[in-house]
Amino acid sequence: MARVRLEHVTKRYDDVVAVDDMNVEIEDGEFVCLVGPSGCGKSTTMETIAGLTRPSEGTVYIGETDVTNLAPKDRGIAMVFQNIALFPHMDVFENVSFGLRLRTFDDEEIERRVEEAAEIVQLEGMLDRMPDEMSGGQRQRVAIARAIVRNPDVFLMDEPLANLDAKLRVHMRTELQRLHKQLDTTIIYVTHDQAEAMTMSDRIAVIDAGRLQQIDPPLTCYNEPANLFVAGFIGSPSMNFVRGTVVAGGLETENFDLEFDPAGVPEVGVGDEVTLGVRPEDVHLVADADGSARRIGTIEATTDVLEPMGDEIFVYLLLDEESEGSMEEDPMASQDQLLMSVSPDTDLREGDAVEVTLDGSKTHLFDAESGDALVHGIAGRSGSDPGTAPTEAED
Amino acid sequence: MTDDRDGGRREPAPNRRASRRVGADGLRSDGGDAIADGREADLDRGPFQRWVADSISRPERVYRAMFYVAAIFFLVTTLFPFYWLLMVALTPEGQLQNILFTPNGFNPGAFVEVFEVIPFHWYMFNSFVIALGSTIVVLVVGSLAGYAFGRLEFPGRTPLMLLVLVISFFPPAAFFIPLNDLFNTQFAALEPITGDGTLYNTPGALVTPLSAIFMPLSIFILTTFYAQIPDGLEDAARVEGTTRLGALFRVIIPLSAPGVATAGVLTFIAVYNEFFFSFLMTDGQPQNWAPILEGILAYQGQYEVMYHLMAAASILGVIPVAILVVVAQEKIVSGLTAGALKE
Repeated sequence: MARVRLEHVTKRYDDVVAVDDMNVEIEDGEFVCLVGPSGCGKSTTMETIAGLTRPSEGTVYIGETDVTNLAPKDRGIAMVFQNIALFPHMDVFENVSFGLRLRTFDDEEIERRVEEAAEIVQLEGMLDRMPDEMSGGQRQRVAIARAIVRNPDVFLMDEPLANLDAKLRVHMRTELQRLHKQLDTTIIYVTHDQAEAMTMSDRIAVIDAGRLQQIDPPLTCYNEPANLFVAGFIGSPSMNFVRGTVVAGGLETENFDLEFDPAGVPEVGVGDEVTLGVRPEDVHLVADADGSARRIGTIEATTDVLEPMGDEIFVYLLLDEESEGSMEEDPMASQDQLLMSVSPDTDLREGDAVEVTLDGSKTHLFDAESGDALVHGIAGRSGSDPGTAPTEAED
Repeated sequence: MTDDRDGGRREPAPNRRASRRVGADGLRSDGGDAIADGREADLDRGPFQRWVADSISRPERVYRAMFYVAAIFFLVTTLFPFYWLLMVALTPEGQLQNILFTPNGFNPGAFVEVFEVIPFHWYMFNSFVIALGSTIVVLVVGSLAGYAFGRLEFPGRTPLMLLVLVISFFPPAAFFIPLNDLFNTQFAALEPITGDGTLYNTPGALVTPLSAIFMPLSIFILTTFYAQIPDGLEDAARVEGTTRLGALFRVIIPLSAPGVATAGVLTFIAVYNEFFFSFLMTDGQPQNWAPILEGILAYQGQYEVMYHLMAAASILGVIPVAILVVVAQEKIVSGLTAGALKE
């Protein structure tokens, strides 16, 4: 068990900076997800921790030891790979005991530890099978057993569930969480699936373009994203963004105005160019509004496409009637569309004219230039209320 | 009468031809002539034409026949010399005339006599050690080179690979004189190993040049195989506790078994069969590591040539390689085809 610390880690390839000045500190026993889009450098970060890649600059510490120049085998780590990477010429026992047999353990000790690991991942009685005789989930469990059998200080998992089908993935997710509780070992987990990161981790490290964007507990990332990228990446479907200017009485955008008192929000000043961010579940129909003071402004819109999900309906709102739902490449950049989540019994049809309002306490403002978050909750100032369940619509 | 008859005979001929033409056109039919025509069309096709027509409509028989022809041809051309060698070996000394399909007499004792006249088993042992040594050197060095070429990215990889290829095109004879000179030079460092400090008359004099000559082929085979092993497996082995070398020997080589077997067997056979260096790098004495080749030639004295013993020795010399090929055949075939598919 150990802390993991990255200090100014940078990895450059010929003309690409894969990891750019990464500073992360992971506590002993913590479950941290590195999450980001494909090619953001999260796997390279993982490889520098594992020792499979040597960073161009910076230092990696595991425990209090500088491991930057140590070989992977001397770092006290174990890794589960995306493609599982079981040795196809060895049976399960040989696969699991591979690392032990390379070290000085006697046969009885090896056997005892392999059986213990097999029990943890529920693979008893399969030790003499070959990997190609097993299902994807079983192979994954063998890979995990191979990792835990050595009692590593740190577990590294590089998208271990990516190649499994959806149902198995959810199942293995729970098993991994159970395993983490049982072993109480530091786990660093790489994924591009923000839902996986949200559900499993103690803290999420959001990475984009080789840079760490935010490292915080899942709900903090969700409720108080550090910048536009985190706000857009965490949460599904993603947050609505609208560009606007702060004026004396509130906020002006191309298609609507919001009313709030800029004087009560010291982070912004009149005349600032900002990006407004609001999650679909914080957009409400005026008709449903319960008179809460947090609601700001009234937006007139036309419903476009309805997506019933069962427990909620996603409604695409057109703010500008002439635009007819332009299909822009980046939906986050759309200026005349809003996504709203309403309860499934709401009576709405495509093409209806509706009036909606925003929950001011959960409306974020970002700097239009840098994308950094300025304020979370421009009215009511209770945006960071930890008791609020973030995933459900509140209508 | 005869004239008349002749004339009479001659006359109808053009008529018949004419009527045939017309009948063929179907404009006019003359009963008798028409029947005669039909028979004649059938009769025109001789046995050869019928056979051709038959072959076109049912080609399987032809294919099968051609398969047998080709198979028998290759079997005869490859096995007959061996058969003939056996006949020569079985023929008693001095009766070597007119051997074709049967030996002149029967003398299986030649296979024993081979070992009595000279210590042929010693020559066989020498050849075996030299071939095995070269194979081990080639596989170890070739594996390291194959790993580097197949799995690492480094500047100058392609030029280096081409250089290996170019060197493999050199005629081995071009190296002989400098190498022979080198192996006859005394080095103090070698004295504890070889006695007089030279490599001449040691296995080293054969293993060194022969493994170098047959190395490029093995490097190419092994590079192809090692390049196919997924990176994840090597990474997993390294995280589990091996070095890069450990991963090569514990994971990559076992998974490339067909390629390693192919490279190994090809090298072994090539070294075992090699003539030029084998003939010149020792003085021909078995205690000086002379290979089989020298043993076979040793039956050739100043006044007599014991062909039957040379033949018997040749047959005995082939046996180890034949066994090796039979044992490794399956792996060689899959190894060769796998390499071929990759390119």
